[in-house]
Amino acid sequence: MKSESEESFVKQLKANQNIVHKICRLYTSDQDSHNDLFQEITIQLWKAYPQFRGDSKFTTWAYRVGLNTAITLYRKKKRSIETTPFDTEFHRIKTDEYNYEEEEQLKLMYKAISELNDIDKALIFLYLEDNDYTEISETLGISEVNARVKMNRIKGKLKKILNP
Amino acid sequence: MDELELLKKDWKKNDMQFKQVSEKEIYSMLHKSSSSIVKWIFIISVLEIVFWTGLSVLTSNDTYWKMLEKYHLKTIMQILSIINFGVIAYFIYRFYSNYKKINATDSINQLLKTIINSRKTVKQYVTYNLAMIALSLILFFGSQAMYEPKIQDILNKFGTNSSKGYLIVFGSYFLIILVFTIIIWLFYKLIYGLLLRRLNKNYKELQKIDF
Repeated sequence: MKSESEESFVKQLKANQNIVHKICRLYTSDQDSHNDLFQEITIQLWKAYPQFRGDSKFTTWAYRVGLNTAITLYRKKKRSIETTPFDTEFHRIKTDEYNYEEEEQLKLMYKAISELNDIDKALIFLYLEDNDYTEISETLGISEVNARVKMNRIKGKLKKILNP
Repeated sequence: MDELELLKKDWKKNDMQFKQVSEKEIYSMLHKSSSSIVKWIFIISVLEIVFWTGLSVLTSNDTYWKMLEKYHLKTIMQILSIINFGVIAYFIYRFYSNYKKINATDSINQLLKTIINSRKTVKQYVTYNLAMIALSLILFFGSQAMYEPKIQDILNKFGTNSSKGYLIVFGSYFLIILVFTIIIWLFYKLIYGLLLRRLNKNYKELQKIDF
């Protein structure tokens, strides 16, 4: 029987799937790994779904489970692969009006982000998703101060990469 | 930091560029757990053959071979075990290819087919093993009755009443074979039955999704 909870889970996930896609985008560099990670996160979300009681937003909850899955998988893989090759075709960068300088900058930024470690990627992801430091600290299970410090360090790292 | 703001702007714009996954695809992802069940079937079958091979290596000492020789079974048992290993290797290959197939498929239809196949393979495997065990026992006891002097003594004791003797000897053989086969059958039912039940459950749910 297709259970009620399964149905509502699938509906919610479908509506919010871009969150998962974006996590995959940060952690993978080609379409195949993107799909693999998407599937893995879907399975982990479904496994964790009984614990999701709706007292937090689906999106907030999906951030947490999705990032945890990506971080765990990334850790396991890290032993064999040190850096992820960055495919700019896959991470297509669009700008409204063609602005060469901006586009170059974006390319560099994405490349720089792809070189960050698993936790820093999660942080930058939440930052890009407009989470404030309270939300970031809750999702990642670190203190707010720690989140700020880490974020500043990342900004520094990125700045250094962009303006050597 | 200007660059980060620029990135944020770009990040939001890219929302719609992802290939959207359908509800059906999500359902099929949830029921991929079949692949882990089929994986376990494969692993257990390998462990099982390791266990039985280990056991036969440990028990095949001089006494065992002498006994086989006495019962005129040495050649036939050797042939039988070679055939047996061939057949079991084939089954392990089947389990493995089922596992590979289930992992590679995306469509629910294909998933259903592979589940049916896996189920069929397990049933054939269990049936084959039970038949093989029963056959080996029948061969062994049959030869024992013919060539073991102690059994001959028992039969001779009944003298004129020989049919009663045969009944008792072969009756007990039959019981031993039956009990032994049932024990092995229960053992298989316990391991594979559990996995098959979960596979079946998954199958039924998948069937409902394939609207």
